Amino acid sequence: MKKGIRFYIALWGAKLGTILLKLLRRNASFFPGKFALKVCPDFIGKIDKPQTIVAVTGTNGKTTVCNMIEDILKDNNFVFIDNKYGSNIDAGVTTTLINGANFMGKTNKKLAILEVDERSSPKIYPYLTPTYLVCTNLFRDSLMRNAHTEFISEILTKNIPKETTLILNGDDLITSNIAPENKRIYFGIDRLETDGSKCENIARDIIVCPKCNTKLEYDYVRYNHIGKAHCPKCDFKSPEIDYLVTKMNLNNMKIILKNNEIEEEYDLISDNIINIYNIVTVITVLKQLGLNKEQINESLKKQKIVDTRYSDETVNGIKVITHLAKGMNPIACSRVFDYVRKYKGKKAVILLLDDLHEAARGSENTAWQYDTDYEFLNDESISQIIIAGARYLDDLVRLEMAGISKDKISYQRDEITAIDNLKLDDIETVFILHDLYSIELKEAVKNKVEIMIKNY
Amino acid sequence: MKIEILFPEFCNLFGDMYNMKYLKMCIPEAEFIETAIDDIPTFVNENVNLIYLGPMTEKTQEKVIRKLLPYKERIEELIEKNVFFLFTGNAMEVLGKYIENEDGSKIEGIGIFNVHSKRDMMHRHNSFLIGKYGDLEMVGFKSQFTMMYGDNSNSYFLDVEKGIGINKESKLEGIKKNNFIGTYLLGPILIQNPLFTQKVMEAIGAKGEVALKEDTMAAYEARLKELKKL
Repeated sequence: MKKGIRFYIALWGAKLGTILLKLLRRNASFFPGKFALKVCPDFIGKIDKPQTIVAVTGTNGKTTVCNMIEDILKDNNFVFIDNKYGSNIDAGVTTTLINGANFMGKTNKKLAILEVDERSSPKIYPYLTPTYLVCTNLFRDSLMRNAHTEFISEILTKNIPKETTLILNGDDLITSNIAPENKRIYFGIDRLETDGSKCENIARDIIVCPKCNTKLEYDYVRYNHIGKAHCPKCDFKSPEIDYLVTKMNLNNMKIILKNNEIEEEYDLISDNIINIYNIVTVITVLKQLGLNKEQINESLKKQKIVDTRYSDETVNGIKVITHLAKGMNPIACSRVFDYVRKYKGKKAVILLLDDLHEAARGSENTAWQYDTDYEFLNDESISQIIIAGARYLDDLVRLEMAGISKDKISYQRDEITAIDNLKLDDIETVFILHDLYSIELKEAVKNKVEIMIKNY
Repeated sequence: MKIEILFPEFCNLFGDMYNMKYLKMCIPEAEFIETAIDDIPTFVNENVNLIYLGPMTEKTQEKVIRKLLPYKERIEELIEKNVFFLFTGNAMEVLGKYIENEDGSKIEGIGIFNVHSKRDMMHRHNSFLIGKYGDLEMVGFKSQFTMMYGDNSNSYFLDVEKGIGINKESKLEGIKKNNFIGTYLLGPILIQNPLFTQKVMEAIGAKGEVALKEDTMAAYEARLKELKKL
């Protein structure tokens, strides 16, 4: 694509802007790209790009997957560009490409790892052809932005370039059917002891066959629409998996991954099924990029899920676990609720799930709560649930709708004073579940909980 | 008492199914019938007290139109007979004349109401609403790709105090004809509006008070106060 004067004005302006923002110690991961796209709307198409581009998209897990891929590549001395510290929409991707290029718009970088927001697909893929496009999963997400999975999967199918090889979650019947004409590689996890024959989740986005409308038969259901299914009337079914976890041992935290009849053992750094999927995704991508088992596993063992997403500490024999539960994202929250109920021992749960951005704008649309499995918190092992924040009265009603006795619920507007109600008798673990935008609040609550435990 | 939920395997977005779960808590003696898309709706051959249809995807709207079109006259008859209908989110669009895509192509609707809707798939509208239903103030949220057009001045559901009506220029929300109520409001609207739910119960002849009255009222009053400040 011919560059032209607009391209160079955009590039030089963005480069200059980056220098100024850095001098002012401001975040330079968004505005340079935004400026470049304003001046030259097809800038992404014109700038020189690395030969190999891995784009990672999907409802849940894309940030974790990108972080892990990047950390393992770095540990193996790969040089690449990424948008780790920037935005995952078109402006963030553009900024990353600008940072990877010189003043003539040329790059000597061979590899890019890009996290891409699903909704930004129409603004990015017409100008950038990923070598691999990874889709972690497609679930109900923010209803205000992403509406429903049919809308998102159609956006992806419409915009993914034909030349791109897809790396897809084969256990997800929605994800596995995006861009059906493209070459594809599937990853997945074979049947687990914990899989069932019936779905116990509220949100199920593929119940009938998309080809013939017949009710699908699930061989097993893991959660929501994750599992293995087939149509009893036509040929629609879950795909054959290329990278399949055939064995999972959570006692010694290892998995066996089979590809082309070769089985390899990898270490797990989390026992949470969401993160195990993330790990399998990462291994699949890295194998496709040519890394061998030793390169991957040695670095994988050093990885840690970032503290803003998960942390655990033991204070005076009581464990305090903080876990991200992205507000307005029903499946992310449901997965965390499921993890909490299945966690051993007696627990108290503190919910800080308000979207503070929405709260600041006025009043959060809480419809997402009713796509979320709050019913999982209705479990004997959970002795107390503390709810606080702007939507505490809505939370109370939602918990009661889930059949949870009001006696178990402590509710109050102020998040910090609400912690005074924490009852530590017989409690082995205190879970603090928080939204993405509540990191400071989560830290304050965590500190208070830990002080209370120390003084208990 | 029979309450029919149409096509819950498809029309179940945005937590709206909990409206029915809440109604079950409010009217434990009622029979709730879930009708799948391949079944003949119960309302075709039997009397039901309330018919509910929740929000759905755009492709599903086409399936629902195909499914309900043969029962157009029966639906009109039931509306005339004051049977209660509650259609939430984009469900009411299927009963309009047509749904227009961005490229100008049209999907013929069932044609019971003289309205049509237009899609704008890359610009989702999100807003909150306070509206009057008689002397009652209702609160709720909208999240939609479409706007509806047509004259609903004699058949609206809510007189909007804050927010928009069936489109950005309108202050009249939804469609109401006899006991048919169609509204773009979505999510747990019955839970968020216990006073309205009480009216629904009275309209279908259910006795007693709404479930979780104290707590749903506290949440409703807090939201109303909050939205009025904006």
